[in-house]
Amino acid sequence: MAETTQTDFQPNIVAFLCNWCSYAGADLAGTSRTQYPPNVRVIRVMCSGRVNPMFVVNALQEGADGVLVSGCHPGDCHYMQGNYYARRRFKLMRNFLEYLGIEPERVRMSWVSASEGAKWKEVIEEVVEGVKAVGPMNKFKRRQLNW
Amino acid sequence: MAAKKLSKDKVGEVLRELSKFRLITPVKSDDVVIYREIGDPEEAFLDYGNSTVPPKKVVFPQTETLFRFTLGNPELREKNVEEEGTTVIFGLRPCDARAMSIVDKLFSWDFEDPYYLKRRELTTLVGMACVQPPSINCFCTSLGGSPFGKEGLDVLLVDMGDHYLFQSLTDKGSRLEEVLGSYLEEATSGDEEKAASMEEDAKAKIVRSIDPQGIPEKLPNLWEHPLWKRVSDACLGCGICTFLCPTCHCFDVQDEVEKGEGRRARMWDSCMFCEYTLHASGHNPRPTRKERTRNRISHKYSYYPKRFDVIACVGCGRCINLCPVNIDILEILEQVVEA
Amino acid sequence: MVDRNKLRETAKEIISRDDVRELIGYRAGTYGFRARPAFVYDPGEVDQLIFTPACVNNLATYITLEEKLPVPKGQEPDLRKVAVMVKGCDSRALIQQMAENAYDRDRILVIGIPCTGVVDMDKVQARFPDVLGPGEISLEGDKFVFTFDGKVEEVPKEELLADKCKRCRYPTPLVYDILLDEEVAPFATDDYSDVEALEGRSQDEKWAYWEEKFSRCIRCYSCRNVCPMCYCNDCILDRLRPQWIRRSVDVSENTVFHISRAYHLAGRCIQCGECQRVCPVEIPLMELNRKLYKDVEELYDFEPGVKVDAPPLLSSYRPDDPEDFIL
Repeated sequence: MAETTQTDFQPNIVAFLCNWCSYAGADLAGTSRTQYPPNVRVIRVMCSGRVNPMFVVNALQEGADGVLVSGCHPGDCHYMQGNYYARRRFKLMRNFLEYLGIEPERVRMSWVSASEGAKWKEVIEEVVEGVKAVGPMNKFKRRQLNW
Repeated sequence: MAAKKLSKDKVGEVLRELSKFRLITPVKSDDVVIYREIGDPEEAFLDYGNSTVPPKKVVFPQTETLFRFTLGNPELREKNVEEEGTTVIFGLRPCDARAMSIVDKLFSWDFEDPYYLKRRELTTLVGMACVQPPSINCFCTSLGGSPFGKEGLDVLLVDMGDHYLFQSLTDKGSRLEEVLGSYLEEATSGDEEKAASMEEDAKAKIVRSIDPQGIPEKLPNLWEHPLWKRVSDACLGCGICTFLCPTCHCFDVQDEVEKGEGRRARMWDSCMFCEYTLHASGHNPRPTRKERTRNRISHKYSYYPKRFDVIACVGCGRCINLCPVNIDILEILEQVVEA
Repeated sequence: MVDRNKLRETAKEIISRDDVRELIGYRAGTYGFRARPAFVYDPGEVDQLIFTPACVNNLATYITLEEKLPVPKGQEPDLRKVAVMVKGCDSRALIQQMAENAYDRDRILVIGIPCTGVVDMDKVQARFPDVLGPGEISLEGDKFVFTFDGKVEEVPKEELLADKCKRCRYPTPLVYDILLDEEVAPFATDDYSDVEALEGRSQDEKWAYWEEKFSRCIRCYSCRNVCPMCYCNDCILDRLRPQWIRRSVDVSENTVFHISRAYHLAGRCIQCGECQRVCPVEIPLMELNRKLYKDVEELYDFEPGVKVDAPPLLSSYRPDDPEDFIL
């Protein structure tokens, strides 16, 4: 079987970023010409609390090798509490997926504020490195069925 | 055709020989017996009662692609069942084989279903007689079946202790007998008589029964009878009784599309689900489990015999054994008789 | 053990009341040692009621399972109470349903049964495969006593007791209007050893374990339907737009189905074990639910189904919730 070696494996990572902090943080990284791995596909949502845990599962099913959810630091949420709700949800989902055999490296969460362009770079580097280490996600990926 | 004998120590070789076809046998998945395609003869689990999921799924898969398409391209690529190749189901129970011959009538009725019929044509059924009825809730003898029934089968095997009595019953069976010629021996004399008496013993061990006489005619007159509410009070509306029924054959058709590529597939559906008859308007002509239960029983015991002259139930007992709330089709039928 | 005459007399009194519409209890099953739900509408029907260790069903499900037809013009809706018999575990389902405002407390009349444990019916069936019955099970000391066809057999309780009862912390109902017997002191504890054993395996081993189980799933949805906490009018499994989970049956869709089923019960599952009991292909669903149950307890010190006024786990938070996993 031809396996992609870990060095040339370029993971697909779906990142759900909140409009007010993390999206702005990622934007800052971009405008500051900060270099970070190009493996991330960003989806902007209004709040990390808007991210339904099914988004994570669905992304993994549809071919993402990893998922990142990022929001404002605790206390900074534009909607006061959205990130607190998200934190509970993702802790449980992450643990649960790990229990089924889905590596926790694939399901990540971070707090990145609008001023943390440099932190965004670090987060992405760590996420990409983690997913590269565990390889492509093929456990419950939707297979292109041969009839 | 003269009966043959298949020594038990040759079963492994026989299965190896048959694995040049798509070979499906009962296997154990943890403690559950299911039918699965096997590569290694060791996987076959022939010392079993009956499977949880009936072998209907081999000829009528739970999910089956009908055709594939690409958005923007009017050309459809139809499924070619032929590519699946010759299939042998080894070791199924006579009731499940009989169920297939009952369902055949539907799929070859007003519209000839090419997928199902092609697969049936490609499939050879090697049955295993029930020397011991697999469960307390077996009642095949009430509905014209038998633990040694031959209907629908191409070959019937009877466990004679150290060997199987091998009887081929159809042309497909004879072809299989030719393939396996070198592993078969002349049947021991007296085996057939012995099998006949074993059949009587097995029948006598079946303790549950119903006399279906008159039920198909009576059911339509009980439409508004209070019994339906009472028998369905405990129903949860799950799909166990229908999905695990060897004669239930309802399906839904759905399109699945991904990045411009898609398929139209059909998948089992159950009349016990509330969405089964739900209209787009929100109206549901079978709004509660009462109507759904009534439909399930009426379909098996009235509509089907009216159209095809055979009751769509073979008495395998799965719906009784596995119902979470002990809804018992025999009890319902008794109430129908008494009503 | 609940006295049968007392049970029936109480039931008779209750169903005779003007403000009670129906009573949900147990009656003997149709074969073997099974018992099944009984629906009583009339005082004349109470003589079928029983309570034995065969009464495994969680009847709380029926409160939320009811399919209400539109009330015809000019008629009043039937607002009379539903009386329901509950064991300790089942009573927690009622509490959790009420904590979620599924219905008002005065809609139901709860008949509590202090429970000393029920049998695992699959094990009973395997032990007595040829008994047509109907046979009866009773508990005497540490033995289940099986009476059938004029015979009596005793089996040690430990051998046939349902797994959920071996770790039951609430044998006496936590909510009731009438308690049919003396309270039962808790006789078991839960150490989550089953969950921990699985947690300790490698990722690939865990996935191999679950892949085999999920590949068997036939998506009959009996686990959902039997669950007293699965009562959404608009279930994610039935949705077509968006269709989160396709109806097609393969390992991928089945896995996502099981993830979403278990996850929707996070902080809500009260461990009655019904899903695993009813699964025809024996998927160990409680191992999924129990992982979440354990995490919820350890991380958030939360136990569902014990307090009616507890805020739901996932729509509440504490500022100091664990966040060691956050980058």
